[in-house]
Amino acid sequence: MKVSRRTFLSIGSFIVGGAAGTALSPLPWKLTDDLSIWTQNWPWTPKPERGDVSYVNSVCTLCPGGCGLSVRKVNDRAVKIEGMKGHPVNDGGICILGLSGLQLLYGPTRVKTPLKRVGERGQGKFKKISWDEALAEAAEKLGALRAEGKSHTVACISGSAGGTVPQLLKRLLTAYGSPNFMSVPTMQDAYAVTLKQMHGIDACPGFDVENADFVLSFGSGIIEGWGSPVRMFKANSAWQDKKIKVVQIESNKSNTAAKAAKWIPARPGSEGVLALGIAHVMLRDGLYKKEACDGAAGFEDFKKWVADNYAPENIAAATGIQKETVESLAKEFAAAASPIALCGRGQGRTPGSQYEFMAVHALNMLAGNINKAGGVQIIPEPKYIAWTEPELDEIAQKGTASPRIDGAGSETYPHAKSLLNRLPQAILTAEGASPVQALLISEANPCYTLSDTQAVKKAFAKIPFVVSFSSYMDESAQNADIILPNHACLERLEDVPTFAGLSKPVIGLSKPVIKPQFDTKHTGDAVIALAKALGDKIAAAFPWESYEACLKETLGDKWEILNEKCFVAAEENIEAPLQFFTQECKTVSAEGDEKQYPFVLMPYDSIRLANGFIGNTPFLTKTVPDTVLKKNEMLVAVNPKSACGDSLSLKEGRSVMLTTPKGSAKVRVHLSEEIMPGVIAVPRGLGHTAYDKYLAGKGVNCNELIGPAEDAGSGLDAVWGIRAKLSNVSI
Amino acid sequence: MNKEHNKAKKFGMVIDLDKCTGCGSCMVACMAENNVPFKADETNKLDSITWMRVYKLTNGKSFPDADFCYLPRPCMHCEGEHGHSPCVSVCPATATDYSHETGIVSQIYTRCFGCRYCMAACPYHARYFNWWDPVWPEGMEKSLNPNVSVRMRGIVEKCSFCYHRYQLAKEKAYYEDRREIEEQEYQTACTQACPAGAITFGDLNNPEHAVHELKKNPNAFRLLERLGTNPKVYYISSREWVRLAGDNYLRQEGKSEKN
Amino acid sequence: MSTSVDQKKEVSTEVGDGAGGFAILFFLLGLVASLIVGWVAFPKLLYSQKNQPIDFNHELHIGLVDEGCESCHFFREDGTYSGVPKLEQCIGCHEEVQGQSKDEAVFVEQYVKPGREVPWFIYAKQPECVFFSHVAHVKAGGMDCVTCHGHIGESSSLKVYEENRITGYSRDIWGKNISGIKTNTYDRMKMDDCSECHVKKGVNQSSVQTGKGACFVCHK
Repeated sequence: MKVSRRTFLSIGSFIVGGAAGTALSPLPWKLTDDLSIWTQNWPWTPKPERGDVSYVNSVCTLCPGGCGLSVRKVNDRAVKIEGMKGHPVNDGGICILGLSGLQLLYGPTRVKTPLKRVGERGQGKFKKISWDEALAEAAEKLGALRAEGKSHTVACISGSAGGTVPQLLKRLLTAYGSPNFMSVPTMQDAYAVTLKQMHGIDACPGFDVENADFVLSFGSGIIEGWGSPVRMFKANSAWQDKKIKVVQIESNKSNTAAKAAKWIPARPGSEGVLALGIAHVMLRDGLYKKEACDGAAGFEDFKKWVADNYAPENIAAATGIQKETVESLAKEFAAAASPIALCGRGQGRTPGSQYEFMAVHALNMLAGNINKAGGVQIIPEPKYIAWTEPELDEIAQKGTASPRIDGAGSETYPHAKSLLNRLPQAILTAEGASPVQALLISEANPCYTLSDTQAVKKAFAKIPFVVSFSSYMDESAQNADIILPNHACLERLEDVPTFAGLSKPVIGLSKPVIKPQFDTKHTGDAVIALAKALGDKIAAAFPWESYEACLKETLGDKWEILNEKCFVAAEENIEAPLQFFTQECKTVSAEGDEKQYPFVLMPYDSIRLANGFIGNTPFLTKTVPDTVLKKNEMLVAVNPKSACGDSLSLKEGRSVMLTTPKGSAKVRVHLSEEIMPGVIAVPRGLGHTAYDKYLAGKGVNCNELIGPAEDAGSGLDAVWGIRAKLSNVSI
Repeated sequence: MNKEHNKAKKFGMVIDLDKCTGCGSCMVACMAENNVPFKADETNKLDSITWMRVYKLTNGKSFPDADFCYLPRPCMHCEGEHGHSPCVSVCPATATDYSHETGIVSQIYTRCFGCRYCMAACPYHARYFNWWDPVWPEGMEKSLNPNVSVRMRGIVEKCSFCYHRYQLAKEKAYYEDRREIEEQEYQTACTQACPAGAITFGDLNNPEHAVHELKKNPNAFRLLERLGTNPKVYYISSREWVRLAGDNYLRQEGKSEKN
Repeated sequence: MSTSVDQKKEVSTEVGDGAGGFAILFFLLGLVASLIVGWVAFPKLLYSQKNQPIDFNHELHIGLVDEGCESCHFFREDGTYSGVPKLEQCIGCHEEVQGQSKDEAVFVEQYVKPGREVPWFIYAKQPECVFFSHVAHVKAGGMDCVTCHGHIGESSSLKVYEENRITGYSRDIWGKNISGIKTNTYDRMKMDDCSECHVKKGVNQSSVQTGKGACFVCHK
């Protein structure tokens, strides 16, 4: 087409005119402004709603620490968890896990409705069912077992033994007819057995660390999350201010060792021997508190036994510690006005060797610090739950009288209340049908936290019916047949008896901060509903209308003050006569042949890795250093001077095969001078297979690589490590 | 000095490394307070956004003489010898700014266009770039704090000394007909959360604030002081090797410059 | 060859004859058209019009309350500003239908009874990046509501809420006048308008970059 000059000029003029007009109009200027604003406000960038700010107090249930919380809310959203000022445990401070609690509350790992398994066990295939269906099905299964006279084959694993919810579960089992209520053992259990044997009483220990002037820690991770973590951080700061000496006995340089005034790298597993070596010097030189010990039961025998067997020169080979070090340590410990000795390895989430606990406690007795300021406090078990004994029908009487599957309380293990570590083997070694026909799991994740996870899963596979009360899709919930999800922390009302080594324990009240987000039910209410469905005397044992009614009645006059303050003080100390011991308990050694496995593998605890029932939150995993986790691969810390054979050279970041008698895993090497040569330090808390993409598939679960080591004294799991080797990765 | 200048505040922090346990509460308190995003894989620390980051320093010795120390690192809120911080002077967008009134280095996300000059200029690696849009799993956006804007892809962010808490404290003071706020009314999220009480925050210019005395501790030091950035974060350590590590230079560097 | 020269001549004479007029005509056409587009069509296209869910009568209410604007738009105890009232505050009087108005019936039936918050459109809503402190302006600065909000408190009917289709902002931020010219203090609420007053009053003029207001005074 031919464009005439006139047309061209006309169009040109029109465009020029248009451009001039546009420039004279607000269009380009306004549009530029608006477009630049548009680029600053993508619609997919969330704009958190503003509103009324309020604070609600509660108590944290994510670990046994029992910290007071102050949760900031905007309208009906919880936006930030902070520590409660004035709370006796944490006074405003808060740990990393508590801080990120909202990620659990609002997170994708929540079980949102009751679920019923449809796929194979552990496949994670579930279908949604209603609460009525779920409870009816559980009640029907339990009712059928009872009708067959198999009530004693029902077991329950609870995260703790204290508090009304675990006690309701225990009561359900009793009224139903089973003795098999088990709780997840921690160092508290080992301490309970220690106090039973050395004072003859049922009690819990409290450690008045705030008033101690010399702290001797046998591998306790004072600042890695031992006891009540925030309280221990505060105590550590107080020690720094007052220049109080902390001596850490531990093979590797943990955070606690790095903060301590002195670090003594004793051979792993020899801590108990070292404690008795110190006792030897105190007794030999008359450095113990005579007014406290002389005349005490078994003291003369103990004195002679220690004198004969634990001279510092004789234990040097076992502990790797020179005679002079032991001598000076004993003198310093004895010279302090209020010294205290602590044990319970790492965070104390596993019980440990009874021998070690008793040896360390003997030091406290020799120092005369029992029930003294700055010493060990002997506190009675909480008594506020005083329900009348349930009336048992014939089946229940017969069922509860049958022996426990885990052997706790039997002649072999007279002092243990429950021995969860023995359960998997009891199931696997039983001939014929599993001795556990139905299992209830509340606030526990045995498929992840128990030693030798593979065996635990195999044992689980033999249990025909598993019910989980978990709020989260953890490994155990994933292996369950029915999930009856509990309200999460901050959604539910619950009493939280807190001992965790506090010198003045408290009973806390965890109050709901927000309404339940999903179709969940309080485990207390679920238990009451199950009991009512089972009928007759089981129903009669649960006369409460709801869990809240039960809790209100149980707490009685404490209810009002708990509602207001969230905590009340627990019982006062009780008198504790001393009883010394002489029975030779064997040291728990690492499983495996030394020649075949030149290394010792030791799991280590970190406050930045939640390793129990509660899995790591995304924020927590974010703080894990890249020397522990790189992409999805876990790094194990090894001293570069470790002898590992000619075929393998240790290099930073190198992929190696880590093999123990229990299993093997591909890991990477992190060379560290903080680790004793010959030791492989493995982080605890990684290697989850359940939960969400922020946690699953990262690293290796150290419990898969170690097996349980039954303590000869208590029957509890005393494992602290296992022999291991590193080898090239076969391509 | 005129009267107005005397009134100027200089907010700063003193961190006691003897008390710091490396627990990481400060990091998470900061993330939760400031809507810091997270990804499924945060192990590449170069793109992992942590306004407050706890570093681990080692003395480089062999077992058993090896020693280490944790060092929490917020933004240093440098004042600089010329009255501005390294990041502020290079910003072409006026997205980052230094206020004489508070001594806080601000970052305005909507203003930033992501050139990252400031990141190159910052000697403390305190600045982070959003390589991706933040994603909160369904439901978790309910935990977001409305006092801090959520950032988007393509911009730089950093520690603000929880400036929004200063704004909120001032609102409360104005409501109560006060012009000044108390020391405890404005505390950063990390200071408040630290279970060890290792962090102290306040006005370095105000003799009544704890930081005023603490910064004079003979064991107090600041990071890379020789650069002349005049940071407002002080550290205290009784260990000499830690104090030396705080001014960690290449051997041949900066010797002549130090007076 | 010669023909092309002729043609050129012809064209040049044409230009001389009237092409100039055409050019001017088309120039003016383009000018007028684009001015109409820019001044009339563009604002219409740029903003979407939304009616408030209920036509609230400020004039009526202000006569019934004791403390003026603050009776409903109050400061919370922590100094933050409550903004547009929540249902909770309205329920005191509006549990049952008051008077004859149709909007009142709708309010009680659709919002009060089911306990549903009214999704008001907020004319003065500042974007997400802004931290605006009412208490700093009203209590500490002694300003009145009218300075920024105009005479909305005396209106008997709510105006149409206009939303910028590109930015999602309320039209009141840029101002009703599309050219951005303002005659009253409350005509515009852009950053420059805040800054203008801040410069005048010497509020926090402490920026190293600009020598004017520091960014963190109003931004978050």
